[in-house]
Amino acid sequence: MSRHHRRKHRFKLRSFYIWHRYMGITAAAFMVLVAVTGVFMNHTERLGVDDSFVDDDWILDWYGIQTPDNMTSFRVGDRFVTRMGKHLYLDLNEFEGRYRELTGAAKLTDMLVVAVDDSILLLTPEGELVERLQAEDGVPAAMQRIGVDAAGDLVVEGAYQLYTPDSDFLRWQAWDGDRSRIRWAQAEALPATLQQALQRHYRGEALPLARVLADLHTGRFFGRFGPWLIDLSALLLLLLSLSGSWMWYKRRR
Amino acid sequence: MNRLLLLVALLGLLPAHLVARGTYQTPDEFLTGVFDGQVPGPRVLWLTGERKAAAKKILGHSYPSLRVRYWMRDARSAWILEEIGKDMPITFGVVIENGRLAQIKVLVFRESRGAEIRHPFFTEQFEGAALDRELALDRPIDGISGATLSVRAMKKIAALALYLDTQAQLQHVTPSP
Repeated sequence: MSRHHRRKHRFKLRSFYIWHRYMGITAAAFMVLVAVTGVFMNHTERLGVDDSFVDDDWILDWYGIQTPDNMTSFRVGDRFVTRMGKHLYLDLNEFEGRYRELTGAAKLTDMLVVAVDDSILLLTPEGELVERLQAEDGVPAAMQRIGVDAAGDLVVEGAYQLYTPDSDFLRWQAWDGDRSRIRWAQAEALPATLQQALQRHYRGEALPLARVLADLHTGRFFGRFGPWLIDLSALLLLLLSLSGSWMWYKRRR
Repeated sequence: MNRLLLLVALLGLLPAHLVARGTYQTPDEFLTGVFDGQVPGPRVLWLTGERKAAAKKILGHSYPSLRVRYWMRDARSAWILEEIGKDMPITFGVVIENGRLAQIKVLVFRESRGAEIRHPFFTEQFEGAALDRELALDRPIDGISGATLSVRAMKKIAALALYLDTQAQLQHVTPSP
């Protein structure tokens, strides 16, 4: 090989090396992201990812997660039962399940009563679920509102008449008394501090960490073109492996 | 006729989970069947103290409510209990007679998979089962592939109903008026 040819060959290899370097730097940023999120996704249970939620405001805003406008609250003693969206809370403690409509909440002597959807939730004063009563347990259909009569017993207004349960909520019967003495549960506004805390709590449980990790991993986090960026970095990796192998082969020669 | 055949063919194409979900029997129908139309008044059993701990041992977690409703006549008791299969609660109806499981049925199935546990070929394995000292069923139950979590839920509920029956026999809380 002449001197001219060797110089040309070295120049070609050097230029290829520079390209290889730039491709490596570009792909590296994405690969670190994909590798780290991949490891987390592979061990979600062990790393506690399954039970974690993102509460960072800018990420929640980025996902467009807002607190729902439809919020209904009832005071029970010094606590509040609130439905926000499909979530139901006693102060800041959320109940299991999804709920469409909160009809009312009342405090009896030793129990809290919440009428929600077609059910009545019986709670201890501390908020622990005693029992969820449904239509087959005698709960009146089409509950309009609930209240407490002069004797301190629960009264439920159904579609046509008023009902009251026995002391153990096992049987229901028509209620007949002085309606003017019933204290009906009235929806009222939450104190501002509780409302803000509840909104933070709601947003803090709306976005699972696993979802964000998966979106980062696939590029969807970065919007419409994110997956294409990840595809591009995968392509760069492919080219890197080819260019690296080629340079190694040429140098050996 | 052609339309009917087309409808049947289309139903056959429905995903299995859409067919599996549903109410197979309402609790009222279940109780009416268990007590030959003469359903006794409901009673309640509180899951507090030792009972709460035992229920937690059987289920692997606390039962979601503090009291459970049941129906009893002589040595026969009926229970409507719920347990989550994978994500959603499955409602079971269980009959215990003389301390042994007489019948277990899936009343409402809300999961997308695993509804095969409702078939008699599976539930018959539970008949005659009792509790051992470890609060587990005294016999092995063959699983169903693809329905592991639903099978597990049914086994837990069978054991829980057997335990609750012993408690109900010991102490009748709040007899019906």
